[in-house]
Amino acid sequence: MTTISNNNIARAIYLAVQGKNYAEQSLIFSKVIQFLFRRRLLSKAPDILLHLNKVINDEEGRIVAKISSRDNLNEKIKKELAHTMTKRYSAKEVVLLEVLDEKLLGGFKVEVKDEVIDLTIKNKIRKLQEYLTSSA
Amino acid sequence: MNTNHIVENLKKEIENFRSQIKAEKVGRVLEIFDGIAKVSGLSDIKSSEMVTFSNGETGVVLNLEEDAVGVIIFGDFSKIKEGDEVKATGRILEVPVSDNILGRVVNAIGLPIDGRGAIRANKSYPIEKVAPGVVTRLSVSEPVATGIKVIDAIIPVGRGQRELIIGDRQTGKTALAIDAILNQKGQNMICVYVSISQKDSKLRKIEARLEEGGAMDYTVIVSAGASEAAALSYIAPYTGVAIAEYFMDQGKDVLIIYDDLSKHAVAYREISLLLRRPPGREAYPGDVFYLHSRLLERACRRNEKYGGGSITAFPIIETQAGDITAYIPTNVISITDGQIFLETDLFYKGIRPAVNVGSSVSRVGSGAQIKAMKKVAGTLKLDLAQFRELEAFSQFGSDLDDATKRQLERGQRAVEVLKQLQYAPVRMEHQVVTLYALTEGFMDDVAVEKIKEFEQGLTDYSERQAKVFFKEIIEKKMWSEKGEEELKKVIRDFKKSFIK
Repeated sequence: MTTISNNNIARAIYLAVQGKNYAEQSLIFSKVIQFLFRRRLLSKAPDILLHLNKVINDEEGRIVAKISSRDNLNEKIKKELAHTMTKRYSAKEVVLLEVLDEKLLGGFKVEVKDEVIDLTIKNKIRKLQEYLTSSA
Repeated sequence: MNTNHIVENLKKEIENFRSQIKAEKVGRVLEIFDGIAKVSGLSDIKSSEMVTFSNGETGVVLNLEEDAVGVIIFGDFSKIKEGDEVKATGRILEVPVSDNILGRVVNAIGLPIDGRGAIRANKSYPIEKVAPGVVTRLSVSEPVATGIKVIDAIIPVGRGQRELIIGDRQTGKTALAIDAILNQKGQNMICVYVSISQKDSKLRKIEARLEEGGAMDYTVIVSAGASEAAALSYIAPYTGVAIAEYFMDQGKDVLIIYDDLSKHAVAYREISLLLRRPPGREAYPGDVFYLHSRLLERACRRNEKYGGGSITAFPIIETQAGDITAYIPTNVISITDGQIFLETDLFYKGIRPAVNVGSSVSRVGSGAQIKAMKKVAGTLKLDLAQFRELEAFSQFGSDLDDATKRQLERGQRAVEVLKQLQYAPVRMEHQVVTLYALTEGFMDDVAVEKIKEFEQGLTDYSERQAKVFFKEIIEKKMWSEKGEEELKKVIRDFKKSFIK
C-alpha cells in the first residue's frame, strides 16, 4: 500500500473544495474527517492543516513573511518591505507577521518559507567573529 | 607586541570586513537520533550538500523526501535539539587539500587529528566526483613495486590498478598494505592510508611504524575511528580518494589503501537502516554495490593529455571463516582487477605473507611487470600449483620418481623463498636475483632450512659483485647476456663459499 503524504492530502482537500458552495464544502469536510478516521490519520490533522494553509497561500499568490526585529518597525519600512517581497517572490499579496526579539540587538530578519534574510546586528557580529577568527 | 599594536591590527581587520547580504535556506530539526537528523524546509537542497547546525556541527544531506530531508551528522549530535536551525551551505561536501597534508593524520572531513596544528589548505576537493572517463585513461603498464616477493613476482600490480586484499582476521592484510607503503620510498609515489572504523591503538601503531620507516614524508593517513559516528566511517574513503585526486591532478602517482571496506559497508548499512531505506541481502541497502564501485572506479591511470598521474587502490576486505562468497566480498571481487587472498591455514603453517597463490590473481598487472621479473617468475605460479598438488599426493606413498622428487624439492624452496618478514620489503633487483637463482636451479642443493640465509647472503654478495647485472636491471629493467653471465658466475662463487 502506498503511503499518502500529508501534503498530498492537503492538496486533495484544496482541489475538492475549490469552486464549491458552503453546503457542498461541508459535505466534503465530513468525508475528509471520515477518511482520516478510517486511515487512522486524525493525529496528523494539525500537520495537514498546516500544509493546507501553505497550499492555499501558494495557489492564491499569497506569501507570509515573518519579520523579527528588536523594536517595532515604522510603517514606511513595512511598506517598503512588502513591496520588495512582492517583487522578489512574484506574489500577489504579502502578509507581514511581526515578532519582537530583544536578542537581535538591532536591524531585522525576514523569513519567507525556508528562506531567511538576516540583517540583524547579532548576525553581523557573528559574521565579524567568524571573519576575525578565520583570518587569525 | 604591545597592546596598541594589537588594537591597530584589529581595527585594520575590522575595516577590511565586508558583510555580504544574502538569502539563506534554513530548515528546522524535526527529529534527531543516532547521528541522523530529519530536517524540514530546505526545499532546494541537493543530495550530498553540506548543512550547518546552530551549534556549529556540520552534516550532509543523504535522503531527499517530500516534506523533510535526512541528514547525517559529523560529530557530536547530543547538543542538537528538535527545532534547531539548520542552514544549507550550497556546497557539495568537500575537504581541504594542499601539499602540506603530507605526513599528517586527518579525520574524515580533512581536519588534522595529530595534534600538530592546523593544515594550511588553499583548495577544496569534493568528496563525491564522477570517475574519469574512458578517453582520459591509459591502460595499466607501469608497475607498483610493493617489495613483497610473492606479489611482485606472481600477482603483479600496476599503477592505476585496483587490487583487493582479502582474508580472515589476523592473516596479515594490513601488514601487506603497510609493507607496500614502506617500499614506496624513492619510488615517486604518494600514499594515502584510509583507516575505517579501526581501533585507535592500531592506527597509532601504524603511524609509528610508518614514521619509523620514513614513510610519513609521502603518506597521508585519513582516519574514522571505531568510536566515531558511522557517518564519518562512511565518508572516510571518499575523503581519502579526494586527497589522492588532488595529487593525481598534479601528475603524481598515488597509492591508496582502504582498510577496510567491510567495515565501510557495515557503517553504510547502519546509516541506511537509520534513514529507513529498504534493507536487502544481509540487511545491506540495495545500492551497496554502487557504494564501492563508484569509489573504486576513481582509481585510474590518466593519459598525458589529461595530466598523467594515477591512483592505485588496495581495498581490504575481511572475510568470516574464509567465506569469500559472502555479499560484500563477492561485490568487491567483481569490481576490482584482481585479488590477493590470504589464508589462516598458511599463516599458522608459518608461510607469511599467507598468500594463497592459487586463489590470488591479478587481471591487468602482468602488463605492468618489468621484463626481468616476467622472465624469472614466468612459470613460478604454475610450478607452485603443481607443487601443492604433488605435495598432497606424496603424502600417500613414498615411491616417487626422480622428476617428481625434483619438483617437490624445488617447490619447497620456492615456498621458502617467497616467505618474508613483516615490514621488510625487498627491492625489485634483489627479488630478481633470488628468483633467478631459484628458477635456474642454483638453490636445488641448498638445504631448505638454509634458504633464507642463502638468499640474504646472495643478494648482499651479488650487489657488490654483479654490478653490470644490477645496473642493467635498474636502468633497462632487463639483463643482457653479459649481465647474465656475470650473475651466474657470482652465484656460483657465492655458493662455493656458502656450502663450505
